[in-house]
Amino acid sequence: MNNGSKPLIHLEDVTKVFLTDEVETHALSGIHLDIKDGEYVSIAGPSGCGKSTLLSILGLLDTPSGGSYSLKGSEVANLSFPERARIRNREIGFIFQSFNLIGDLTVYENVELPLTYRGMSSGDRKSAVTQALERVGMGHRAKHLPSQLSGGQQQRVAVARALAGKPAILLADEPTGNLDSRNGEAVMELLRELHAAGATICMVTHDPRFAQNADRTVHLFDGRVVEDNRIAA
Amino acid sequence: MINDLRFAFRLLLKNRTYTLVAIAALAFSVGANTAIFSAINSLLLRPLPVEEIDRLVYPIALREGFDPFGSSLIEYVAYRDRGHSFVSSGAAAQRSFNLTGHGEPERVRGATVMATYLTTLGVKPALGRIFTADEDRPSGPAVVLISYEFWQRHFGGKAGVIGETLNLEGRNYNIVGVLPPGFDLPGAAEVWLPLQANIDSLPLVERAASNYEIAARLKPGVPLKQADTELKAIARQLEGEYPEFRRGWGVKVISLRQQLLGDLEGRVHKALFALMGGVGFLLLICCANIANLQLARGIARERELALRRALGASRGRLVRQLFTESILLAVLGGIGGLLLAYWLVPALAALNPIQGISLAAFLRHFEIDGRVLSFALVVSLLAGVISGLLPALKGAGADELMPRIKQGDQRSGGAASRQWLNSLIVAEIAIAMTLLICGGLIVQTFQRLQHVDLGFHPKNLLTLKMTLPESKYSEYQKRVAFNDQVLDRIKNLSGVVSAGSTTNIPLEREIAYDARFEIEGRVPSNPNEVLITSHRIVSPDYLKTIGITLMSGRFIDENDRAGSLPVVVISEELARQAWPGQDPLGKRLKRVRAGQTFPWMTVVGVVKNVKEDLFNYRINRPVWYVPYAQVENHFPVNLVVRTKNDPTSLTAAAREAIRAIDPDQPVSSVMTMNTNLSGVLVTERFSAVLMAALAGSGLLLASIGLYGVMAYSVNQRTSEIGVRVALGAQPRHVFQLIMGHGMKLTLLGVAIGLLAAWSATRLLVSLLFGLGARDATTFSAITLLLGIVGLLACYLPARSAMRLNPVEALRYE
Repeated sequence: MNNGSKPLIHLEDVTKVFLTDEVETHALSGIHLDIKDGEYVSIAGPSGCGKSTLLSILGLLDTPSGGSYSLKGSEVANLSFPERARIRNREIGFIFQSFNLIGDLTVYENVELPLTYRGMSSGDRKSAVTQALERVGMGHRAKHLPSQLSGGQQQRVAVARALAGKPAILLADEPTGNLDSRNGEAVMELLRELHAAGATICMVTHDPRFAQNADRTVHLFDGRVVEDNRIAA
Repeated sequence: MINDLRFAFRLLLKNRTYTLVAIAALAFSVGANTAIFSAINSLLLRPLPVEEIDRLVYPIALREGFDPFGSSLIEYVAYRDRGHSFVSSGAAAQRSFNLTGHGEPERVRGATVMATYLTTLGVKPALGRIFTADEDRPSGPAVVLISYEFWQRHFGGKAGVIGETLNLEGRNYNIVGVLPPGFDLPGAAEVWLPLQANIDSLPLVERAASNYEIAARLKPGVPLKQADTELKAIARQLEGEYPEFRRGWGVKVISLRQQLLGDLEGRVHKALFALMGGVGFLLLICCANIANLQLARGIARERELALRRALGASRGRLVRQLFTESILLAVLGGIGGLLLAYWLVPALAALNPIQGISLAAFLRHFEIDGRVLSFALVVSLLAGVISGLLPALKGAGADELMPRIKQGDQRSGGAASRQWLNSLIVAEIAIAMTLLICGGLIVQTFQRLQHVDLGFHPKNLLTLKMTLPESKYSEYQKRVAFNDQVLDRIKNLSGVVSAGSTTNIPLEREIAYDARFEIEGRVPSNPNEVLITSHRIVSPDYLKTIGITLMSGRFIDENDRAGSLPVVVISEELARQAWPGQDPLGKRLKRVRAGQTFPWMTVVGVVKNVKEDLFNYRINRPVWYVPYAQVENHFPVNLVVRTKNDPTSLTAAAREAIRAIDPDQPVSSVMTMNTNLSGVLVTERFSAVLMAALAGSGLLLASIGLYGVMAYSVNQRTSEIGVRVALGAQPRHVFQLIMGHGMKLTLLGVAIGLLAAWSATRLLVSLLFGLGARDATTFSAITLLLGIVGLLACYLPARSAMRLNPVEALRYE
């Protein structure tokens, strides 16, 4: 996945403006951000600083109001909705704060879901899902419903779902926010392992302890990058 | 309780859209139920001016074992003397009389009755008295009873009417009593004369004449079925005792109410109960919709209810609170329903389904009385209970309080709650499916009956009825001459195409004349074989006038006079029965009647089958037409006039033409043929219109319900949809997800509905015509229709799901 010196993600002067009741709110202003392949970046900042907006743009859930965004060297800022969905499905894995497993689907089906959207064959899906579940230690719970799992287990399944399609980058939005410290620590350990195995991760977190796990911490304030620290190994 | 009510009011006011939708749905459903019940109340439940109506029955003579006909005095005596089921019985014959001396000569409907006919019915006169046994003896006094309405119309309700005289058919009768308001049995009688017959001394032919109707009162505790069995056995005895008159005849005992509705086969009863079932289904669909709305609201109110429990409210207390809200809603819906019913009832009355003409003041007047009001109240409360029970139990039943209190106003709606919503919508669709299939079958039946080939052309036909008084037209030649002169004059009127006369206007609600006959050279293989045909005595030009199609030979013409070769024109059905596969022209048949001899008649023409009998509309019965001039008879003379334009424009001219020949001759029932025919399919039209309306309403409610559930589901699944989009779902995946869910519910409802309809339609068999209870086309078409409606109901929610902004959707997490 390494494209030489080219970053995996390159944001140039990205802005995001929301119009509410004729009031302009600048959620992001002049964001410049590069994320290299294999990097583990944490994004930190106070509430309302634009972390989630930035993650939405990185995850192609939202489009920037200005600037450019290239993913793996291709401009993706102004793609159509279906095209963004296709890239999201193949290149991006999401991990949410509240797990967001679909309650009516089993663990296996939850992990399989993005692969189904990709149009992957049943055999390939089975192999990828099994592999992802084994990787997060949830292979034995494949037939369970999310409601039958603990919070920590549910987040592991969510990580497996994000991993299964072998995306270019994992985007994690406060992945430990809904977990107790023990389960939170376990999930962070899992992310560390994934990173060690070569995964690119971009994580939004409030918790400075978990931010320390990353190679880099990007601090946002009022929609601007105010600090970009590389953490010593 | 007052607090509960106050809070319920406040909530309803707060959620105005929900309240209005729920009240409108309830009002619609309660209104429909109340309106249909008002019809049932008028037709089946309301008291009538007779005593203990549930014990009153009518033995109906069945010619050919199925064809309802008048009874004879032979039967009356046999049932009276040999039966053990009745405490009393009496016979009456419908007649009409020329009334003179009270302004314009008038033909009035009346009857000759046994004194016991009125005592059996338990009629209480409004004024004077009814007939005594002494007045009912042969050569008894000339006395008459008049109806309340006749008293009002002709005597202005004068108290001293008793003792005054009435001139009927040229004879004066003393008025001895005025019968109670609305009473007009038999038929639609306005005057009653005592029968004054010594039955035992009457000639057999007269005793055997099927001119009477018999009313009987069951002994206390004797069921109708027992009387029916007993009389059937007596009828079989009579077949053996009087084979020349009674062979092939049966009897069926029916209740007076059934008789009044003209409902020998119980079609009106079945149609009414099918409709009641239909509106019941509609109520269930409506309740399911309201329950769904309440469930959805209950899910949204989980936090409030959990808080109440946390503050110490018991589960029972919360159930009461929620139930109060449902009942309040139902009562408001009930009031709306009642207002709607006040508007619907007159429309329903205009579609009155009954064929009978007696006691019309009671049976044709639908109204909202105390019983209907009570029904509306019960239905409203029932709707409240049905729609409120589940949401109340579900809403008050939360055990884990803290998670619900913590959830704030986030959308929750767990799988179990969604399951209930899904189940209710599946039930709604299943009920709508059943309703639609039943409605479809009934509507198709009506359409098919409407398109039955009548065998004549009813457009531009005017009909007029006359009964020539025996006192003036005792000689048959005089009647023929009168008939010829009237027809000559009418044919010469401007705008008249042709004119003719007949003894029965096709499909009229009068006694239809029939004849037994035999075929030359054919000995019946079975002694019980009785050949019967509709017997019509017609003028030349009658067949041409009403537009009957000649298949072979010729019509009756001017040369078919008394003294010439007796001829007959027969229908295809008669030809098929008499000479299957042969040419009937030139063959002969003759009328058969005990004690009388009739000449052989030569078949000179064969016409296409004609619907002559109202009671045999659904089948083809043999008909023959014989020349008026060749058959001496005292039957009524009915004129049929074909016009170039609107037939009613000739009414005055036709009356004038008759008056010019005989100024004293009353003319009655002047109407177009189409007006006459409009009464033929009243029951079927009533059922078809209402079932179509109910089925359409059911479909509308179910589709709104499905739309509501799907919209609610999309709302509840916003977060899930956001996740799916984040995982790479394309818009079509989201669309398919919602459509798939909706269609799964629709198809499950359709499948259950198909099974339910498969069973329910069996109950409709006797109401159907020209198609089976499991008509594949209807089942397929309705399945397709519901499938399409399901697709449409799911489309909008699916489209809105497809357009969800993933970022906003994920904010719901």
